Amino acid sequence: MTSKQPHWKLSRRGFLIGTGVAGAGLAIGYVFGLPRLRLGIADAFENASQPSRVSTKDPSLWFVISPANEILFYSPKVEMGQGIHTALAQIAAEELEVDWAQIKVQNATSRVGPYDGSGTTGSTSVSSLYTPLRTVAATMREMLRAEAARKLGVAASDIRMAHGVAALASNPSRSLTYGQVVQGVTKWEVPKDTPPLKSPTEFHTIGKTFPRVDFADKLQGKAIYGYDMRLPNMLFGAVARPPTIGSTLRRAAPGEAAQQPGVITIVAENGFAGVAATTRLEAWAAVQTMQLEWDQPPPFQQADIDARITVGQGSGIDIQQAGDARTQLQGSSVIQAEYRTPMAAHAHLEAQAALAVVGADSAQIWASTQFPDLVRSEVAKVTGLKNEQIEVIPTYLGGGFGRKSGVEPAVEAARLAKASGRPVHVGWSRTEDFRHGYLRPPTHHILRGRVEAGRILAIEHQQASGHVAFDFLPAAMMQIMGSDFGAWRGARISYAIPNIQVTAWRNTLPVRTGWWRGLGLLANTFAIESFLDELANAAKIDPIQLRLTHLPAGEAGERLRAALTKVADMSAWGSAAPTGRARGVACCIDHGTIAAHVAEVSIEGNQIRVQRFWSVVDAGLAINPDGIIAQTQGSIVMGLSSTLIEELTVRDGQFSASNFDGYPLITIADIPDIEVTVLSTGDIPYGVGEPPLGPVAAAVANAVAALMGKRLRKLPLQMG
Amino acid sequence: MQLAINGTLFEVADTPARPLLWVLRDELGLTGTKVGCAAGFCGACTIHVDGVASRACQTPLAAVAGKQVRTIEGMAEVRADGSVTLHPVQQAFLDAQVPQCSWCMSGQMMTAAAFLANTPAPSDEQIIAAMNKNYCRCGCYARIKVAVREAATLLANEQEQPV
Repeated sequence: MTSKQPHWKLSRRGFLIGTGVAGAGLAIGYVFGLPRLRLGIADAFENASQPSRVSTKDPSLWFVISPANEILFYSPKVEMGQGIHTALAQIAAEELEVDWAQIKVQNATSRVGPYDGSGTTGSTSVSSLYTPLRTVAATMREMLRAEAARKLGVAASDIRMAHGVAALASNPSRSLTYGQVVQGVTKWEVPKDTPPLKSPTEFHTIGKTFPRVDFADKLQGKAIYGYDMRLPNMLFGAVARPPTIGSTLRRAAPGEAAQQPGVITIVAENGFAGVAATTRLEAWAAVQTMQLEWDQPPPFQQADIDARITVGQGSGIDIQQAGDARTQLQGSSVIQAEYRTPMAAHAHLEAQAALAVVGADSAQIWASTQFPDLVRSEVAKVTGLKNEQIEVIPTYLGGGFGRKSGVEPAVEAARLAKASGRPVHVGWSRTEDFRHGYLRPPTHHILRGRVEAGRILAIEHQQASGHVAFDFLPAAMMQIMGSDFGAWRGARISYAIPNIQVTAWRNTLPVRTGWWRGLGLLANTFAIESFLDELANAAKIDPIQLRLTHLPAGEAGERLRAALTKVADMSAWGSAAPTGRARGVACCIDHGTIAAHVAEVSIEGNQIRVQRFWSVVDAGLAINPDGIIAQTQGSIVMGLSSTLIEELTVRDGQFSASNFDGYPLITIADIPDIEVTVLSTGDIPYGVGEPPLGPVAAAVANAVAALMGKRLRKLPLQMG
Repeated sequence: MQLAINGTLFEVADTPARPLLWVLRDELGLTGTKVGCAAGFCGACTIHVDGVASRACQTPLAAVAGKQVRTIEGMAEVRADGSVTLHPVQQAFLDAQVPQCSWCMSGQMMTAAAFLANTPAPSDEQIIAAMNKNYCRCGCYARIKVAVREAATLLANEQEQPV
């Protein structure tokens, strides 16, 4: 993507229509107010409002129009498989009034294109950019209209803009392509007022399935990812890794590395040791011959981690309260259950990678990253350069899932590039990726509830988790917030229940935990939605009926009702499952998106087999329905892998897995038939990259309980 | 030593034990073959050696001496005027909009192409068995099934047409 630009050898001058547009179009700066309540801040993060921090200060280039009437759109969000380049291009094409075939997409860098400081995270790309991008595109369309009118010698109001052509409404043969409109213009006047945006009834591109913009290159092996970046004269880097988790480098010396074949540069300094060599295998081999002394912490075991992540350990903070649940939850009719989820790896198939070029007063970093801004600031720290001297160019990502919010390979490549004076590529091995990153944290949940006369009178969810966001925030922020919003994503009770108490416990761990697709959503939804079925079972109420009688008030509740009703319909919920099978339901509301799943399972020997899976997803206004289906299918598959297989454990201070033999993923043979229905509602899109993951495990656990009469409360679900 | 890759001969250092994967990617610039685990578990680096699906990470150069290697870059037909006809497997994966991140897809398609060459009219069970050793972390499996089935049809149609 970034290494080859066949169609866009433009002289910028004359085509730089984007310059200046952003400043006018983007009056959407977002500033976090001073915190009144710690929960208030956490809510701002946890809820859907996480903004796109597209800069309003520097006018930046969103679009380039070529003489051939191709529209190049610079995406502020990275493409890691979620289809964001396609969805954003659709939104842009809609207001620009151009045809789909005209649009090309390239990632913005920290120098070129709209700058986004917030990274590509949290299923917020479409929801945060929907209005800003339409505004920019509509503004540009009106600037093109004004220029077309000037060139044609007519009033702007007489010009009709459609299919990338500005034509006289009364005589369409008098027309100019956008590519012709921009010819010879060096200065553009940005309209003072933001033009009105189109009504959804006028949409021709938003809401329809369009093919992905990135597939032609990807399917021919031509797309360039971080691991693929190559430059002339480049070296390959390798970095020394601690022998056990938490070890720190006390002393490093080159040892015999200098005598190893291919070695060009050796770095042995404060807490960092690495080599750069002419091939990757030489670098990996040579770094093993460095002389390194490590300070190792006392070895710890999995049981030590489980003990720390237990409700009541560490510090707890109430994150939701209604009525008086603790008083209500007394007596013999109270139902209590405990759930656990394990640590899990991201296992993106493209291990982390970056290529760095570091000069005396500038640097360029190509990285497979979800967080270019963080790459830039961390590279600045190790190179001594200023932020503005560093250009970060995001490549395609071979999966991200939250792990590529980390920046390690870029920083490592920059250190080695600075030392060697040559471009250095660092691509982690699978073992490095398993053992030296961060993980989905382990969780523990205790739920208590009481049902009377078919109504849930009170519910309490106490949740314990390793850190998700906290290892990435300044200590002061942690103090203010008190609890980790990432850990308790999905932990609050959405249902209308008069007495609710939710408490989040956090504790530090000797392993690093952090962002993983959906953050706490999978674990918390597993616990809550499993427990809902336990309550339904005890009260002898149909599980879908129980959910329908406790819908939250307002629009979200009505959307959830529609989704549950639809998924019940798709799965023939009221009818008996085929012999030897049973069905289970689960749902969630996350960042405005509703997901409702039904799983149908059987047991073969000791193995749970998920035979069929039905899903309804309402992500608000659907931008690209097939894209939503793809994200839902993917979330279900990744969720099933977590539900049935995945668990990363520690033994003697080291992770037990070093490659996929120790951490297998689900494969095609274990995937059920999946049917997805997309409900498009309202006039605002919500995110879809993570929410459908939430209810997957609970739907399966509920089906297993219905089939076997046995409740499995620990992931991965294992019989006997 | 010489390597025959996608019909072109490449001269590389005579190091017969080196895995083909790194030579393809890091020396010859053929980065369409992806690296996933470098240990034979994931299938991301699947290529063809004399038509047989092989994992480049587990294939020493010695094993391909005198043989024809085909990578994803050699699948589509590219004409002198730059026009491209995708291989039927690529076309089917495009039609079904299979990929997400697509890092595993070169390996998926190479696996599928070798399988279909030997099994022109596969059953669903055969498709699943053939594709069961290739990981897809984005979870595109349902679409892979659809696309491999469709590719079998496209290949069969191609066979019927006189060339």
